[in-house]
Amino acid sequence: MATTIRRTLFYLVILAAWEVLFRLRLWPEFLFPSPFQVFRALLEGFAEQRYLVGIATSLRRILVGYGVAVLLGTLLGLLQARWRFLDETLGSLILGLQTLPSICWLPLALLWFGLNERAIIFVVIMGSLLSIAIATEHGVKHTPPLLIRAAQTMGARGLKLYVAVILPAALPSVIEGMKQGWSFAWRSLMAGELLFVSLGLGQLLSMGRELNDMSQVVAVMLVIIGIGLGMDRLVFARLATSVRHRWGLQTP
Amino acid sequence: MSPAKDRRGFPGGREYPSSTLGVTSRSAKLRLQRVSKTFSTNHGPIEALREIDLEIREEEFLCIVGPSGGGKSTLLNLIAGLEQPDTGEVWCNGSPITGPGPDRVVIFQEPALFPWLTVLGNVEFGLRIRGEAKAGRRERALDALRLVHLYRFRDAFVHQLSGGMKQRVALARALVMDPAILLMDEPFGALDAQTRDLLHAELQAIWTKTKKTIVFVTHNVREAACLGDRVILLTARPGRIKREFCVDLPRPRQIEDPGTITLARMILAELKDEVRKVFREELGNGDDH
Repeated sequence: MATTIRRTLFYLVILAAWEVLFRLRLWPEFLFPSPFQVFRALLEGFAEQRYLVGIATSLRRILVGYGVAVLLGTLLGLLQARWRFLDETLGSLILGLQTLPSICWLPLALLWFGLNERAIIFVVIMGSLLSIAIATEHGVKHTPPLLIRAAQTMGARGLKLYVAVILPAALPSVIEGMKQGWSFAWRSLMAGELLFVSLGLGQLLSMGRELNDMSQVVAVMLVIIGIGLGMDRLVFARLATSVRHRWGLQTP
Repeated sequence: MSPAKDRRGFPGGREYPSSTLGVTSRSAKLRLQRVSKTFSTNHGPIEALREIDLEIREEEFLCIVGPSGGGKSTLLNLIAGLEQPDTGEVWCNGSPITGPGPDRVVIFQEPALFPWLTVLGNVEFGLRIRGEAKAGRRERALDALRLVHLYRFRDAFVHQLSGGMKQRVALARALVMDPAILLMDEPFGALDAQTRDLLHAELQAIWTKTKKTIVFVTHNVREAACLGDRVILLTARPGRIKREFCVDLPRPRQIEDPGTITLARMILAELKDEVRKVFREELGNGDDH
């Protein structure tokens, strides 16, 4: 409770400082809008349904791209943990590619797929696939050997051992990877949309710049933060906490 | 004559009929024939076991004691099928052991429970792997939990239990599989003395009821004297069978019973020689550096 109060006060102070800075008129209004102007832009954006269309477009793209990344990434991580050969070859490639910011895939994607939906989804996939694969592989490899031996003496082997022991044991790590993958996917999507693609939140952001409408820019930024934070808090943080609690890694 | 043949009965105890020591006995559940095992490590090869000959009868409670690092756990892992011998053979019910299997469930020093399952889920695990129907396996898992007095905790998560309770869940998880043989690798080593005493009583009661063949590895001679029908003493590395003590004390036994203490003292006297050897060897190795 005290935390909530402190946090609310903190944001009120920031808003107040923002308003004071605005009133000092240090910068022209179109470069530095007031909180109120941003709020109005936000309301207008939603009222005219521009934001709703943008949010829907961006969410559809990320759901497709991220969904594919989760499936492929988990599979890739599992294969890599299972076969040493894949780990030594593909594993090093994945680690190397992970250092490449995913937006750097955009020129390649544009040449391959053209200026369309598939190019941006490709960038989203490349943004999150690798970190999910790495986390899955890590989780599988760090399954306590004792648990595997115990399961073996109870008759578990092959696929059954994977499904009943190794996958559940890797789950906390897989979820961490999915959480990180989500934030990478979201960033990649915004970068891609900013650079070229029609509709979507990134597009609204660059439109605001072209119209010299700083309040729209800030308003869209707030929407982007809101969605990213919402997913993180409502989905992944809860998932991670419940898993950690159940596994006994964290006391409530 | 190998050291394995050098046996001595415990005074007041009974000598086994020679058939149980021979190669052909009907009731031999497990048989190890000239089993040797060497591990290669960064510091060179370590010979854990050398030419072990051992027979374990059906329904027998066998304890294996020896100095630490002397190959006790290796012996158990060979029977479990978690390790393969370099030479020699391990037989179970007349067929060679090729890998781990649910007829020889192991209980480790750490409970090795699955943290993502409840207590009941853990006990059901082996039955689920075996592909048994849900209703039947639940019923049997609950029975097993009653046997170890943890029925009340069936829906608890593993991390909510004490060390002794966890080890009882591991015991229930093994018993529910109805294995022919129960292999226990210092299962109570990490527990406090009071909990251990309670579990000694519980294990003896369960053994009397279920008559499983139990192979119980421990470094604690009093524990071995308290639990076993027979106690095998292993030498320092490479592990060989040094002595065999047959125990015919009435059950249930307690660790402070005079008979148990007398026997434990005898085993300890022999064990101390081996521990000294280990100690000397470690000191000797220290001089090399």
